Amino acid sequence: MAQTASRPLVEQASGGTPIVVSGLVVAFDGPPVIDNLDLVVDPGAFVSIVGRSGCGKSTLLRTIIGLEAPQRGTITVDRDRARIVFQEPRLLPWFDVLTNVVLGAGDLPDARERAAETLALVGLSAKAHEWPTRLSGGQRQRVALARALVSQPRLLLFDEPLGALDALTRIEMQRLIENVWSRQQFTALFVTHDVGEAVMLSDRVVMMDRGRIVSDTDIPAPRPRRHGDAQLATIEGRILDLLLAGGS
Amino acid sequence: MASLAYGPPRRAADPRAVASRAATRQIQESRLARSRWTPLLVPALLLAGWEAGSATGALPASVLPAPVAVLTAGWQLTRDGTLPTNLAISASRALAGLAVGGTLGLLLGIATAISVGLRRLLDPTIQALRSVPPFALLPLIILWLGIDEGAKIALIGWSVFFPLYLNSYHGVRSVDRSLLEMGRVYGMGRTTLFRRVTLPGALPSILVGIRFALGLMWLALIVAETIAASSGIGYMANQAREFSQTDVIVLTIVIYGALGKLTDTATRAAERRLLRWNPAYGER
Ligand SMILES: Nc1ncnc2c1ncn2[C@@H]1O[C@H](COP(=O)(O)OP(=O)(O)OP(=O)(O)O)[C@@H](O)[C@H]1O
Ligand SMILES: [Mg+2]
Repeated sequence: MAQTASRPLVEQASGGTPIVVSGLVVAFDGPPVIDNLDLVVDPGAFVSIVGRSGCGKSTLLRTIIGLEAPQRGTITVDRDRARIVFQEPRLLPWFDVLTNVVLGAGDLPDARERAAETLALVGLSAKAHEWPTRLSGGQRQRVALARALVSQPRLLLFDEPLGALDALTRIEMQRLIENVWSRQQFTALFVTHDVGEAVMLSDRVVMMDRGRIVSDTDIPAPRPRRHGDAQLATIEGRILDLLLAGGS
Repeated sequence: MASLAYGPPRRAADPRAVASRAATRQIQESRLARSRWTPLLVPALLLAGWEAGSATGALPASVLPAPVAVLTAGWQLTRDGTLPTNLAISASRALAGLAVGGTLGLLLGIATAISVGLRRLLDPTIQALRSVPPFALLPLIILWLGIDEGAKIALIGWSVFFPLYLNSYHGVRSVDRSLLEMGRVYGMGRTTLFRRVTLPGALPSILVGIRFALGLMWLALIVAETIAASSGIGYMANQAREFSQTDVIVLTIVIYGALGKLTDTATRAAERRLLRWNPAYGER
C-alpha cells in the first residue's frame, strides 16, 4: 500500500466490502438457529440487526466472521478485511492498552504508529501505557473499538458492543462509531437490542425472529441525526411495534 | 450457670470505656499493620528467648547450643571452606533436579492440556504415578542408580515434576476461551496465539506450580542427602550427628530454612514482576 508521508496512517477511507448471505442454515444440536437466511449488505452501508434474545443475531455474526460453521448455504465476505467487536472488550489483561491495539494490526507495517493514531482517534492516547484492568468499562470498549479499527477493516461486525454501558457513555460511543464509520466508510453490521440506537445509527434496520429475517426497514433520514428527532421516533415506534407483535 | 465460668468475666458496661478501649485497640492494630518491622517481631522474640535460655543454662548446649555458638560454627566452617563447598554441591543438586523434573513437568503439562491425543495417551498414567509418594521410590532409585548424583537428582526431579505438571496443565486448560476466540478472529496463528494468549493466561497457575515445586525440591534434597550422601548440607548434618556437634546440626537446619525462604522470596518477586498486570499481584 502506497502512502504519502503527510497523511496519517489511519485516516484514509478504506471503503467497504459487501456481505452476501444466501440460504444460510446454522444448527448446533437441535433445530436450526439460523434458518434459511438471506441477507445482502451493500458496501459501506450501516445495517443494524434487532430481534428478541435468542433469535440468532450473535450466531449470524459469528458465522459471518468464521467462528461457526454453516450447515448449508453460502456466505460471501472478505474475512481478511473484517473485524468484530464483542459485547465484552476481550482485551488481553497482560498487555498494556497500546499493545492490545497493536494486536489488531496483524502484520501490517508501522503497527505501533497506527495503533497510537487509532488510540488518539478514540480519545484514549493518555491511557496508552495503562493496564486494561485499570480502565472503566466504557474506556475498555473504546480500546476494543480501536483494536478493531487499527487494521483499516472494510467490514466491521458489532455484537451489542454498547450493551453493558451506561446511557451517557452509550451516546458518546454511538457518536464515535458513527464518526469513524462516516470517515472510513467501512461496511457496518451492528447487532443491538436497542431499537432507538439502531434507528439512530443505521441506513437500514433488519429484524430477525427465530433465525430468519422478518422485516427490513430503510432509514432515509439525513445525517448527522439528532436524538429525539420526530421522523426517527416514528420509525422507531413502527419497528418496536413489529418486534412486540412478532414474538410469542 | 456453670458454663459461664469459661466465659469472660462480666462487667457492668460503661459505653465510654468500651468506646475508648475499642479506639486504643484500633490504633495499636494499625501501628502493627503499618510498621515494616512487624514481620521481624516474632523471630526476634524467639531468638531473644533462645539466647536467654542458653545464657541462664535453662537450655543446655547438648540440647540446643546458644545462637552465638551456631554463628561461630558457621563462621569456622565457612573459613575452612567446608560450608561453601557443601552448600554449592547441595544447591547444584537441587537445581539440577528442578531443571530436569520441572522442565519435563511444565512441557508435559502444557502438551497434554493442548492436545487431546496426548492427554488421552499420557494423563491417566501420570495421574496414577502421582499417587506414589516420592520417598517410597527411594529404595528402588538407590538400587538402580546407587547413591551417587543420579539418584539424588532423580528423586528431586520426581518430586518437582508433579506440581509443575498439574499446575501448568490446569493453567493452560483454564485460559479464558473468549480471549482465544478473539485471538483467532484477529488473525493470530497457532504459535502467536500460544505466545500471546495461552502462555500469559496460564502463567499465574504455572508460578503457583513453581512455588510448590521449590518447596518439594528442598524437602527431597534433605531426604536424599540425609539417607545417602558423601557431600552436601545433609551430609554435614549427618557427620555432625555422629560427633554430637549440636551447633553444626542447628546450623544446617538454619541453612535449609534460609534456602527455602530465599527461593520463596525469589518466586514471590517473580510473581509480582510477571503478574503486575493482575490487580491481585501488582501492588504488594
Ligand atoms: N455454542 C452453542 N451451542 C448450542 N446452542 C447455541 C450455541 N450458541 C447459541 N446457541 C443457541 O442458539 C440460539 C441463538 O443464540 P444467539 O446467541 O445467536 O442469540 P442472540 O440473538 O444473539 O441472543 P441475545 O440477544 O440474547 O444475545 C439460542 O437458542 C442459543 O441457545
Ligand atoms: Mg447475542
